[in-house]
Amino acid sequence: MLTRWNSVLVTVALALIMTPLLRIETASAAAQTASAKAPAAAGTGSIPDTTLAINSPAPMSERVVHYEIEAKYDPSKHSVDATEVLTYHNVTGQALDHFPFHLYQNAFEPKATFVRDSKLMGTRDTGYADWKDKYYGSEDIKSIEVVGQGDLTQNLQFIAPDDGNKDDKTVVDLRLPKPVASGAFVQFKIAFRTNFPETQARSGWKRDFLLGGQWFPKVGVFWHGAWNCHQYHNTTEFFADFGVYDVKLTVPQYEVIGASGVEVSDVNNSDGTKTVTYHADDVHDFAWTVSPRYKVRESTYQAQMGPVKLRFLMQPAHWSQAERHERITRDTLDRFEKFYGPYPYKTLTVVDPEPGSAAGGMEYPTFITGDSSWFEPEGVRLIELVVEHEFGHQYWYGMVATNEFEDAWMDEGINSYTEVKVLDSIFGKKTSVLDLAGITIGEREIQRLSYIGVADRDPMAQFAYAYYNSGSYAGITYGKTASVLLTLEGIIGEDTMGKAMRAYFMKYRFTHPTKEDFLKTIEEVSGKDLRWYFNQAVYGSQVLDYEVQSVKSFPVNWYEEDKKEKKKEKGSKDDTVYQSYVSIHRKEDFAMPVEIEVRFDNGEKIREHWDGQSRWTRFAYVKKAKVVSAEIDPDHTVQLDRNNFNDSYVVKENRKPTYKLSTYWLFVTQLFSQVMAWWAV
Amino acid sequence: MQTLFADEKKTSVLGDGLGMVMRNKRYILWFWLLDLTLAEFGTSAFRQSAHAIMDHSSYAERLVHGFDLGVMIELFARPDFGSMQAAQMPAIYFGLVFFLATALFLPGVFQGYASTYRLPRADFFRACGRNLWRFIRLLLISGIIMGVVAGILFGINGAIDKKAVESTNELLPFTLQMIGLAVIFLVMSVLRIWFDLTEANMVLDDKGVWRSLGASFRHTFSSLGRLLGSYVLTTVVAAALLVGGILLWAKAVRPESIVGAFVVSQITLLLLLIPRFWQRGVAVSYWQRHMLIPVVPIVPIVPVVPVVQVEPVEPVPAPVQASVAPEPEPTTVLPLPNPIS
Repeated sequence: MLTRWNSVLVTVALALIMTPLLRIETASAAAQTASAKAPAAAGTGSIPDTTLAINSPAPMSERVVHYEIEAKYDPSKHSVDATEVLTYHNVTGQALDHFPFHLYQNAFEPKATFVRDSKLMGTRDTGYADWKDKYYGSEDIKSIEVVGQGDLTQNLQFIAPDDGNKDDKTVVDLRLPKPVASGAFVQFKIAFRTNFPETQARSGWKRDFLLGGQWFPKVGVFWHGAWNCHQYHNTTEFFADFGVYDVKLTVPQYEVIGASGVEVSDVNNSDGTKTVTYHADDVHDFAWTVSPRYKVRESTYQAQMGPVKLRFLMQPAHWSQAERHERITRDTLDRFEKFYGPYPYKTLTVVDPEPGSAAGGMEYPTFITGDSSWFEPEGVRLIELVVEHEFGHQYWYGMVATNEFEDAWMDEGINSYTEVKVLDSIFGKKTSVLDLAGITIGEREIQRLSYIGVADRDPMAQFAYAYYNSGSYAGITYGKTASVLLTLEGIIGEDTMGKAMRAYFMKYRFTHPTKEDFLKTIEEVSGKDLRWYFNQAVYGSQVLDYEVQSVKSFPVNWYEEDKKEKKKEKGSKDDTVYQSYVSIHRKEDFAMPVEIEVRFDNGEKIREHWDGQSRWTRFAYVKKAKVVSAEIDPDHTVQLDRNNFNDSYVVKENRKPTYKLSTYWLFVTQLFSQVMAWWAV
Repeated sequence: MQTLFADEKKTSVLGDGLGMVMRNKRYILWFWLLDLTLAEFGTSAFRQSAHAIMDHSSYAERLVHGFDLGVMIELFARPDFGSMQAAQMPAIYFGLVFFLATALFLPGVFQGYASTYRLPRADFFRACGRNLWRFIRLLLISGIIMGVVAGILFGINGAIDKKAVESTNELLPFTLQMIGLAVIFLVMSVLRIWFDLTEANMVLDDKGVWRSLGASFRHTFSSLGRLLGSYVLTTVVAAALLVGGILLWAKAVRPESIVGAFVVSQITLLLLLIPRFWQRGVAVSYWQRHMLIPVVPIVPIVPVVPVVQVEPVEPVPAPVQASVAPEPEPTTVLPLPNPIS
């Protein structure tokens, strides 16, 4: 109690001191600011309300930032020298006296948190078994000036809000002498130099290719009453405010260039370079790429809000795959618009990155990278999988801009779920990823398989860098989320789930929704209280595994049956009455209602419902028929079940599947023996 | 026991070798049966684990009508299935047993190929037993030589690939890798020819390992084009058989037909044995034509009888002879190995 009274007294005292100074500000700012410093005047600049890059007559987001960047790329050094003018609109409702900036490229240093976490937790990219010079990346602010407050370079201070790592320089904080008042604009003029590493975490160079992602000082997001600006970890992605980007990129004239937004101009310079200007509206990031060898394919897609210029930057050896890239892009756009809502941007650039680079499979606003090779049969749908996934991020990250540091499942996971829906719709449920020589697999199965190995490791609802390791992060964030939402379809209905997803997108596009925004939308649309499910599936790490533990049938008068058998004539009708039992067991700690289908040898089927609350249940029948099989979840809606084999029990054993697999295994074994004997003796 | 002296034959070593394989089809059949039996043991652990999980589950049905890869992956991921290593190791062990069994029985095969008649079982096994330690020694020597050469070649290939991936031509590393593998294949085939000729020489000429290695080394390089051509052709036949068999399996066998899958896969494996035995036939044929030291035909010694004046004698009428035994022709006798040496 004492502490609270002290706080009140201090607050009142501060308020009294500040009252005269705050008169020039809005009433709301006066109420909310607790700073002792005098806020700056209304500030400089404004955020443009341009719509050049969107098929909308008016801005679609609350524009907080306007980045004007002029960058010159030096391909020999893989570096960029640039100036950045950032106009920030303080819409936080309170004065801001410091601004944290992400300097993502500083992650690529041996002692940085990103590299340290990679060594500890594993990574999908560079394993850092040893350190090489080409792994170094850096992002140095040469100078920073705040318009009206002078050069504040000396005020910059590296901070490590997540782990206190003093060697991590991925977040720098700038303290202002004069706070920026609520509603005011502030302009930062930054000179910086970025040295890219050889591609790591989908950014950097490979040979003469460059993917410029996370390459400029980027302000954090003031969210829920505080700055949200995490360090860069090996399992985290990004979070930023919406705004407008005007970027001038000067590159050698021989380079083929692609970037977020629309191209405004392309001017050749006398020194053998060219300056290409891009403009993007209602986006929260800007990425670009150059390579002298891209082959370009362009076309137009007629979206619901207007035409979208599709641009495919292909590797020369993959040119034959360009048509596949375009086909899946069009099909995906079509499904997303039908299922979830319109795509408002005027462009979409699909980059086929340099082979062997760690640049494949990445999303930036209106700009994605695929991943292909010169040989990929049509039945192997990895090109389609990656392009679909990354395009999906235009919705779940690009427009519904969730916090990827804290709720990775809301972009990667929801995107994995819609990936299943879209690919199912295009290629079929069981063949959406592989359909070659009779061998098949669907995306929903892949998502489930990626999760079952790490089912008990982590909950979905936790910070992306707090997972046990990168395998758990991937399995839970992508695979479990997709499986949780597919299972949810079985609970509320596929159509209702579809409506909920659309409602969520339409309501929260161009905002930063939280996990509760998403979960509540589903509850509202379905009209059901789903807390019991979300608490286990989203907030908990409970594991779901139901099994048919036993199936038994025996004659009611079993003690007389031996005599009867002897008397029974051949061909006579069996009028024996059987007592049958089917026992269902909940093996793990995730409890949910399940359906059970029991089949009898007279063709009869019975559907049972069990609430799953107790550890086991038993169904008993007295019939002139024996049970032939029992199956939990006969409609196959419970994707979360960790073990599909024990979901059913067929009384009469069927050895065919085993024999089939054994035949394959036998062939491989014999072939191995023969090849060995061929060469060795 | 006689063996065929093929020096004057007009057929090529390739045709001659194939003829030997065809005349001794039973060897192929036995080796296939041995491979199948050992592989059966090798897959039993896999089968037992799979039976326990799949036999009563309707989920496993997805493997029968088509091939749902997800079901197989989930099966392998099950803790009760056991580790994949546990399933693989028996297969590898029994593969090794097959390899050793091949080394054990190969001398009999060489002997059978060189024979003009069906080699009695006792002779087959006698050849195996007599050459057992020679083959083991050769196995070690060839293993070291082939291992070192393969290691060096793969190392060079890897280094070339490492450099090539830095090229902006994406197809360059693949192309160079393929060329590298082709070169490695040719070099290893040359080594294989050398050791096959050595094996033939050891068995058929009853010579020791080192002497046979020396003799066959000279012959390998003196007839390299002809022998390498034969080996490459037979390898191409093997590759065609394998690809053809797998295609037939994929296209013609219904997914649910386990018998069909078994029959097609086993026929493929059976046929796949032919090219390698063909190569051994080529080695035997070559040995007979070029490495065998022909024995000078033994001319019957006619005793010199002193000419004596004989008084004319009145001829006595001789009884009529039903037939006259022909003069024995001089025969070519091959130096047969001394069974007790």
